[in-house]
Amino acid sequence: MIKISQLEKIYRTEEVETIALNKLNMEVNDGEFVAVMGPSGCGKSTLLNILGLLDDPDAGSFMFNNIEVAHFNERKRADLRKHNIGFVFQSFNLIDELTVFENVELPLIYTGVKSADRKKRVEAVLDKVQIMHRRNHYPQQLSGGQQQRVAVARAVVNNPKLILADEPTGNLDSSNGNEVMQLLTELNEQGTTIVMVTHSEHDARYSHRIIRMLDGQTVTQNILI
Amino acid sequence: MLKNYLLVAWRNLRRNKVFSFINITGLALGLACSLLIMLWVQDEKSMDSFHANGLRLYNIYERQYYDGRIEAGYYTPGKLAEELKRKIPEIERAADIDLDERNTFQVGDKILKEDGNFASEDFFSMFSFPLLQGKAQNALADISSIAISKKMAVQFFGSPEEAFGKTIRYENKKDFKVTAVYNDIPQNSSIKGDFVLNWFQYLEENSWAKEWGNNGPATSIMLRADAKPDAVRNKIRKFLDDYNKEQDKTFHIELGMQLFNQQYLHSDFKNGEIVGGRIEYVKIFSIIAVFIMVIACINFMNLTTARSVKRAKEIGVRKVVGAMRGVLIRQFIGEALLLSFFATVIALIIASLMLPMFNSLTSKQISFPFFNPVFWVEILGLTILTGIVSGSYPALFLSSFNPIRVLKGSMKFSSGATFFRKGLVVFQFVLSVMLIIGTIMISKQVHFIQTTNLGLDRENLVYIPIEGDLSQNFNLFKDEALNIPGVTAVSRMTGSPTEIGSNTGGVDWDGKDPSVRPMFSQASVGYDFAKTVHVKMVQGRDFSKDYGTDSVGYIINEAALRKIGYKDPIGKRLTFWGKKGAIVGVVKDFHFASLRVAIEPLVLRLRDKEEWGTILVKIETAKTKQAMAGLEKLGKELNPKFPFNYQFADENFNKMYRSEQVIDKLSTSFAILAIFISCLGLLGLAMFTAEQRTKEIGIRKVLGASVSGVFGLLSKEFLQLVFIAFVIAAPLAWWAVSKWLQDYTYRTDISWWVFAVAGIAALFIALLTVSFQAIKAAVANPVKSLRTE
Repeated sequence: MIKISQLEKIYRTEEVETIALNKLNMEVNDGEFVAVMGPSGCGKSTLLNILGLLDDPDAGSFMFNNIEVAHFNERKRADLRKHNIGFVFQSFNLIDELTVFENVELPLIYTGVKSADRKKRVEAVLDKVQIMHRRNHYPQQLSGGQQQRVAVARAVVNNPKLILADEPTGNLDSSNGNEVMQLLTELNEQGTTIVMVTHSEHDARYSHRIIRMLDGQTVTQNILI
Repeated sequence: MLKNYLLVAWRNLRRNKVFSFINITGLALGLACSLLIMLWVQDEKSMDSFHANGLRLYNIYERQYYDGRIEAGYYTPGKLAEELKRKIPEIERAADIDLDERNTFQVGDKILKEDGNFASEDFFSMFSFPLLQGKAQNALADISSIAISKKMAVQFFGSPEEAFGKTIRYENKKDFKVTAVYNDIPQNSSIKGDFVLNWFQYLEENSWAKEWGNNGPATSIMLRADAKPDAVRNKIRKFLDDYNKEQDKTFHIELGMQLFNQQYLHSDFKNGEIVGGRIEYVKIFSIIAVFIMVIACINFMNLTTARSVKRAKEIGVRKVVGAMRGVLIRQFIGEALLLSFFATVIALIIASLMLPMFNSLTSKQISFPFFNPVFWVEILGLTILTGIVSGSYPALFLSSFNPIRVLKGSMKFSSGATFFRKGLVVFQFVLSVMLIIGTIMISKQVHFIQTTNLGLDRENLVYIPIEGDLSQNFNLFKDEALNIPGVTAVSRMTGSPTEIGSNTGGVDWDGKDPSVRPMFSQASVGYDFAKTVHVKMVQGRDFSKDYGTDSVGYIINEAALRKIGYKDPIGKRLTFWGKKGAIVGVVKDFHFASLRVAIEPLVLRLRDKEEWGTILVKIETAKTKQAMAGLEKLGKELNPKFPFNYQFADENFNKMYRSEQVIDKLSTSFAILAIFISCLGLLGLAMFTAEQRTKEIGIRKVLGASVSGVFGLLSKEFLQLVFIAFVIAAPLAWWAVSKWLQDYTYRTDISWWVFAVAGIAALFIALLTVSFQAIKAAVANPVKSLRTE
């Protein structure tokens, strides 16, 4: 699904040049669950942003489903993103002004799904993450674990091929964290590819493969299965 | 998708009540004010627009060439209409008109004063004043006919039907037959009044108007439908050459014509050309309306962007889940439209509540055209325009957020965006400071006019019109009045001392250059004129009964003396309208016309037995009540058929400057509003900056900055903006104000303190506005603000 080679990303300010990704190579296959680990500043987040088509690389190649997307413009990236990729963030990033239902519905609106259809699909996914009873609540009325379940629901409602999770348990206690990891595992078992950035060895163990990064490069890979 | 936008917009509104309140209020006030101005402008522009023959109706004006200059105005000889119609085939109809008379009428025991006009036969066939009784062709056909309004018919006879054909007594000297009753004249007509007397009567009362060398009445013409206006214009230009024997190289008069419905807004002449008039005020207020709307829109932009930090996350999420930039732009413009829609609803309510006040201020009877679809289309247009203009920048700005950064919480705004927003605030304050300076200057000029030394004393001077028996009894009245306690002097004149309008070229003196014909203002006065109005004699003496020769004596003013050039004028020859006499006195220059114009040469002659004019009575301040009671008693005694009628000179004088007073009040209100809305915008920027700099302030405080230090840091930045605005606004305002003052020959100075006051006021108000936010930021707990990172 993902094939990255010689990928470079450099951040420049007037005086300092920071190499975030240094000729990085990596591959992710369909249906895989990959964890990316490494110390702060190793380039994990930059990699995730590029994988999520939120940012573009300075050099190198990024094949997504056998399409070269490294030099896609904003519009094409957004189009590809909304049909193929779901995001889960550490800080949930739900819209405070929208209810649980409306938050989850949002991606469907942007992909132009009809209202009746949206209702069915949102309800199905809310059921799946067991938050249906809270559908009319606002994010601030929910616990952290519940909020992250909503965020996961929003990430999968469009049936994306890939879910990118950025420290999804970082703001949760361990029992809520485990619930979310369980949820991701289930999604993976149903066929969704997952790339997850994490600091937690515990969470990483849910994955099939751990990619360890340092200074913008992959250093080792542990295959867990 | 639309539903989702509206939902978010609505919830945003409700969640941030203070913000929404400020934002909608600012916009609503701006809209309400623009709405009122829009109604006023439309009303001004609709003046005289209802005449069915509107595009064929023209007014005639004169251009007088003399003494190296050109004076122009809407005064014409009294038989011009008749002759124009007879001689020029393109002219289908024509009427001489004398406007704004005030006369006394009587039916049975009922005696009333009414305002009205004189006009010739064609009047009702030209203008659309529908008749309820009678026929347009013969409404004013003979010397005993009078047309009256429905209102006057009801007053005297009970109904238009009853009035028709009845007799009504005029000035207690002649009976007229009601030959027509017309519907009351609408508010938007410059011809007003409740009666129209026939033109034969006018000419009989004013035989001077039959002379082609004299002028006074207005003339209106109606062209044939197929006539070419330019051809007519060429034909009438030299029309008077065949009639006026006085036309020569040194003095000649040309005629011009102007569409009738244009006169109301365009009636000022310069060098014989129409240069403007009330249209200037229409323009000024249209500009003010645009200024205020711009200020309100900028406000909206600033407040909305100020909120952007709070909304950054929402935008980031929307982008991540697939929103394109265009979609977001549409969303934010949609929100702006929603807000501007609310604001419009509120503005309509505010404006309709303010309308009665606005009407009394402007002496109008404007009402909301609620049933006019055009009005609603305009409102809708204004709402959409406001929404789009004010939503555009926030939409572009918000939709440009980079989702990675906003979701990671490391929001930094580009210096360009900050610069732009500061620029907006500066722009707002430039407009506000200009309005403040303009307002102060208008007030200063109005004050100047009201307090300036006219060269005569208009305090405690009473005008009583000479009418009815008073025209015979004036001398008796004068003798009796002088016995009333509190009355110190009595005289008389044609016109009034602050409004002498009549002028003539018929003045001759020894050594006059025969090739020029200077114009002199002129008035007839009674004995003791100078004593009564307190004008100073610089040479010679006042007209006095002690000298039997005063009927051939003249008093001139200093300006006239300069024109004539006598070294020692007393006793020297002066011939006025062929009547040879001598100068008996020179009066110090006094203002007998608007302060807009210079003091012209003036000749006063003694006419103690003129049948019309004004009695001038000077009274003592302390005995005003007594004196007025005595005068009223005397008036009723000597002139029983007329209600006692009087006016104080200063009231009369203030009327001349009514439009300045209205402009003064309006511009003050608008300036206050503008500065208020601008401050809302400043508040927005202060909120934004405080939010942006939370972390910086936290660090500074951890490192030991004091509350006052932080307060100074935050306030300084805004005061700088206001200061920059002042520096830009001052020269612009100076330019605009001096241009306005050019209309006045006598005008107040543009003093430095006006600018100082405006600058300090703007700075102070701005400081007050930002201090709340600055204090809030300064006293915040730094631990809290740093933890949010």
